[in-house]
Amino acid sequence: MEILQIAVITLVKILIVVTLMLLTVSYLVYFERKISAWAQNRVGPNRVGPAGLLQPFADVFKLLLKEDIVPFAATKSIHTLAPMLALFVAFTTYAVIPIGPSVEIFGYKVDLVVADVNMGILYILALTSVGVYAITFSGWSSGSKYSLLGGVRSSAQMISYEISMGFSIAGVLLFAESLRPVAIVNAQSGLMWNAFVQPIGFITFVVAAFAETNRLPFDLPEAEPELVGGYHTEYSSMKFAGFFLAEYANMIIASAMIITLYLGGWQVPYIEKLGLPDYAVVLIQVTAFFVKMGVLLFFIIWVRWSLPRFRYDQLMDLGWKVMFPLSLLNLIWVAILIMIMN
Amino acid sequence: MSSFILDGKQIEFKQGQTIIQAAADHGIDIPHFCWHPSLSISGNCRVCLVEVERMPKLVIACSTLAAEGMVVHTNSEKTLAARNAVMEFILINHPLDCPICDEAGECKLQDYAYQHSVGESRFTEEKMHKDKRVELGPHVMFDGERCISCSRCIRFCDEIAGEPQLTFVQRGDRVTIVTYPGKELDNPYSLNVTDICPVGALTNRDFRFKARVWDMSSTKSVCSGCARGCNTDIWVRSNEILRLTPRHNEEVNSYWMCDEGRLNTFKHVNSESRVSGPQIKRDGKLNKSNWDEAYAAAFGELKSYTKDEIAFIGSAASTCEDNYILAKFAKTVIGAKHIDFPRHIKAGDQDNILIREDKTPNALGAELAGIRPAADGLTFHAIMKAVDEGRIKALYVVEEDLVGLNPAYKETLRKLELLIVHASNYNETTELANIIFPAATYAEKNGTWVNFQGRIQRIRPAVTTIEGDRSLDNLAMSRLDKFGTEFDRWGNVKKMDARPVWKIISGLANTQSGKFRYSTSEDVFNELVKSVPDFSGLDYDVIGEKGAALKKFVNTKTV
Amino acid sequence: MAEKKRLKDLSFWQKIYIPEIINGLGITLSNMFKPSFTMEYPEVKFEPPASYRGRPVLALEENGEERCVACGLCSRVCPALAIEVQAGETDREKERYPEKFEINMLRCIFCGFCEEVCPEEAIIMSKDYELAFTNREDAIYGKEKLFVPVSQLQDRIQFLRERK
Repeated sequence: MEILQIAVITLVKILIVVTLMLLTVSYLVYFERKISAWAQNRVGPNRVGPAGLLQPFADVFKLLLKEDIVPFAATKSIHTLAPMLALFVAFTTYAVIPIGPSVEIFGYKVDLVVADVNMGILYILALTSVGVYAITFSGWSSGSKYSLLGGVRSSAQMISYEISMGFSIAGVLLFAESLRPVAIVNAQSGLMWNAFVQPIGFITFVVAAFAETNRLPFDLPEAEPELVGGYHTEYSSMKFAGFFLAEYANMIIASAMIITLYLGGWQVPYIEKLGLPDYAVVLIQVTAFFVKMGVLLFFIIWVRWSLPRFRYDQLMDLGWKVMFPLSLLNLIWVAILIMIMN
Repeated sequence: MSSFILDGKQIEFKQGQTIIQAAADHGIDIPHFCWHPSLSISGNCRVCLVEVERMPKLVIACSTLAAEGMVVHTNSEKTLAARNAVMEFILINHPLDCPICDEAGECKLQDYAYQHSVGESRFTEEKMHKDKRVELGPHVMFDGERCISCSRCIRFCDEIAGEPQLTFVQRGDRVTIVTYPGKELDNPYSLNVTDICPVGALTNRDFRFKARVWDMSSTKSVCSGCARGCNTDIWVRSNEILRLTPRHNEEVNSYWMCDEGRLNTFKHVNSESRVSGPQIKRDGKLNKSNWDEAYAAAFGELKSYTKDEIAFIGSAASTCEDNYILAKFAKTVIGAKHIDFPRHIKAGDQDNILIREDKTPNALGAELAGIRPAADGLTFHAIMKAVDEGRIKALYVVEEDLVGLNPAYKETLRKLELLIVHASNYNETTELANIIFPAATYAEKNGTWVNFQGRIQRIRPAVTTIEGDRSLDNLAMSRLDKFGTEFDRWGNVKKMDARPVWKIISGLANTQSGKFRYSTSEDVFNELVKSVPDFSGLDYDVIGEKGAALKKFVNTKTV
Repeated sequence: MAEKKRLKDLSFWQKIYIPEIINGLGITLSNMFKPSFTMEYPEVKFEPPASYRGRPVLALEENGEERCVACGLCSRVCPALAIEVQAGETDREKERYPEKFEINMLRCIFCGFCEEVCPEEAIIMSKDYELAFTNREDAIYGKEKLFVPVSQLQDRIQFLRERK
């Protein structure tokens, strides 16, 4: 394959992924509002377009038309940089998530992943850690006590939960013997999904993912009742929208990660035994990936409207005294499993 | 002095006084409808029944003479039972139409029904129907059903107005009041019956349905209709005078005032023809200007004449303060010697009740305050003659409508080069004026008037001008005044841009000298007291609510 | 009375959260399938019960005569001074009528005192709650807006007679 071809194919893939992400994110907001309404016996947005389907666009238009207010005490450059950073991290992470196996299109072998990188998992971990900076920057640069507290909380929370996250992932990596997401998915063929093999790791990872995305019950950086809006208190207009979109994009990343690491990625157990043509298998597998994602996203939203927020000390207790030992336990369990199987 | 005991309290009385009168003199009110301190005793309402020890039955306090050592109970069980019974009797045929009735709020029957009645009726039969809305006279409306037949109105006409015009006809519950055949209730004091009527049977046709009494504020003032200076209350709602009522002052008007004074002395205050803001004539047209400009213009114009060419006309309708300042200005600033005021004598229009020939409230005061020509000065008629002959070229007229006084003056005034007028309303004189200063009416300012008896009395502002504020200026405030805002239609009241004479002339004088430093009319009065011996020993507090006789006149009783 | 449960009294299963979390999730999930309470306002309108105090109106008799005699009691009792009445004289049996009757809806607090004090059952709290205006002048309701045929107010009148 020529360089040019690779470049074009990659560009097309990026385009598709980014468009898809943006659309999903905006409709995720819509569904968040709808699901919250259902859980509270309300109707939810239903005024803009049929069944309120154009609501996301109305929201974006509203935010676009708002005045962009920068506090007097803010450090302007960093204040502007923070939401950009948040968005950048949210979108680039998606490059290494595979949504299906390799396929042949017009005679080209195309991987259904933007970049099939060797150390994809490290890449993800690295980028999500950069995401903390977005929040810390915004908190620090806003010149507001609420923002600052939100930012500080956020960085502490992220660091605490990244540890258990890291150890949980270590269990997965031990099994797959690779840092390549595609390899990890392939290692989970049949019913060998990591969720079944190492349930403790699965749970710790899911909890850590919630914490990393600042979703309830771990949304302490925002905590409206105490911090007004946390790190984005002093943001308005499209800068606020940047954070807003990043949060939902992070939700998608988190669920994609969970699928890739624990729920067999695009895999559908024993599909190869049905003897379907190749293209049908791929189609089913890609669909399966999105169905899994949909279920997970629903779960994340559902949890938000069911559970109350942790207190800060509870959050730290949970992170260090429960999640961390549990993920270590999981690592030992995986090690034992590997010993037995080998 | 003898005394008796009323509800355990020692009450002193003069020989021949009734129980109710003696009690009233000590500020104790025994319920009554038909009794009135200034009228003869009728004793028909029976509500003043009191228990007197060692008397076999209850007696009516209004016609029982007080006697030495008498022990009277007004709140004993027996009295209360009797009073309840009387109230129940009176209420049998009295319609329950307080919502429609104008008297509501100042109705004796309504008050007593609350205070002394059981609050329910055992009478289930049809109430008597009588004539309603009967025009007894040009000013008074009668509602037969509401009448409780106390006969106060009949006795008033007989005894005070001296013209028997009303009488009872029929008997029992059919009794009602009519005018004698061929007569109507048209004596000059007829409206006093609406004040003394304890219920809403007699109402003032001019005031009917205009306002609820509780929406109005009342201000103690004096009638401007004649030299009697009857004490009045000015009733105001939303900065608009709605009625005048007499205020008791035994020295001047007792409880009464004449219809003329009651109806025709306040309407110009609310009138559309009020002058608001100073007006200067340019090219034959009056233009509104601001005060400073008008002061400067007037002063400049006056200064361009010699003092012999200028004459000042004061007014017996203005206050002593106003006239004092005018005289001071004329004599000290301008140096004029022609200064006088016109008399408004309506020969023959006088009776021995209240009405006086002199139709101004302050003729005596104006003269005492200094509105009189200097030794070589001209009197009013001479001034007008001099104007006619062209010897006087500038005339300064305060609150007088000279053309209204004598239509012939129209031609006279045309000959003037300069005519400055203080006027509250536009009239034929203001048409000829070069500069008009809008004058505050008697209902808009503080001040004093001296009536024909030499009694000095206070007038107080009831209506506020554009510069005023009811609460800051200590004006009487109704509920509406207290809580209204500019956004309420009833709170957004009409206010005139007008000033009292003393203030205008001070402003005028101060364009040059700055020596006329007064902030209130009381300041002016205090200076007047110092400089005019006739007023010595007086101040606003001494005059008080009921006035005080000037020393010169203390012994000349003219009631 | 049962002892109040404290943190230390939690059972093992409660302490590890997970069953309780699942329990909570179950509650929200079951609620998602229940019908919504929302009343979609401009299309669906709330029909208030008789006890509702909407904007005060004046009753107009079947023959087109106004009940109000302009006694001014509503104006007097109004704690917010919302009501202005100017009486006038008519030839009818009730010789007094409201020449001007204005309620400033920006002042009105819907307390219903005017209705309670009215001796003629003339001022009634209606069921009208749709009161929007864009300036102060529009907020002052004059006679033309206040008079409502008495037949439309029967519900409330009935309620008042039972309860007053």
